[in-house]
Amino acid sequence: MKPEKLEGHEEALITGLQAGNEADFQQAVRFYTPGMLAVARFYLDHANAEEVVQDCWVSVIDAIRKFEGRSGLKTWLHRIVANRCKNKLRSNKKEVITDFSETLDPELADRFNASGRWAVPPKLQFHDSAEALLENGALSNCLDKHLSALPETQRSALMLYEVHQHKSADVCNILDVSASNLRVLLHRARQKIFLMVETFQETGEC
Amino acid sequence: MLMCRDLAEIASDYIDNELGTRQNLSVKMHLMMCKHCRSFIGNLRTSTELLKGYSSGRADDELMRRIDHNISEALAARKARDDEEK
Repeated sequence: MKPEKLEGHEEALITGLQAGNEADFQQAVRFYTPGMLAVARFYLDHANAEEVVQDCWVSVIDAIRKFEGRSGLKTWLHRIVANRCKNKLRSNKKEVITDFSETLDPELADRFNASGRWAVPPKLQFHDSAEALLENGALSNCLDKHLSALPETQRSALMLYEVHQHKSADVCNILDVSASNLRVLLHRARQKIFLMVETFQETGEC
Repeated sequence: MLMCRDLAEIASDYIDNELGTRQNLSVKMHLMMCKHCRSFIGNLRTSTELLKGYSSGRADDELMRRIDHNISEALAARKARDDEEK
């Protein structure tokens, strides 16, 4: 089974994991680890995030036996990661600070005049569909680069909501943010991507 | 009246159908009159779709191998425990 085909075959996978089938674990690790890392990176630096995700997988070996399927496997895994991260933060007494007061990206905000009209309007209508844009390897790499440069809070919200298509209630739960703050995170992150694509289409540069 | 900047602030909510009826209508009215904002909404929508099609997190092979190794050891330990209980 290819990793991208795992969804929809979740029940069979869960049975395999519960039985301790190593091959099923390997599939699951490849399919779910990127999302779990995205969750962990909301709270922790890269090295600590990797450590938490590794520990989670080991704990899953026992915990999966009690998994009752009340939530999806992905949501369940993400919740385990989030809880572990919070515990780690509590023990390190670090705080996660995020500013939710500004809805507009500063770069975009600068493009309006005092009366609230566009001073520097969008350069052009993107001429390609998202699908066509993604086929452009250079743009895809550029997207990678910009996503990893996003503030961690924005990136996690974006990864969970758009890329991994979690429901917003689940994302709020995992990341421990209010629904309105999640909207701010998403909007800020999308604006960054908008600005990136605009520059790329205009100049061909990342 | 809704200005371009106001529209930019709530653009994601508009795209995701999260606005109330009244606000939704004023965005639509504004878009009929303003080509810059039409471009903006169109491009922001494309940016959002771009992310939906993006396959995230290129698997870091080294991390995956470490996890495989840990799991393999933990599974062996679990099996030994289970056998003991039998």
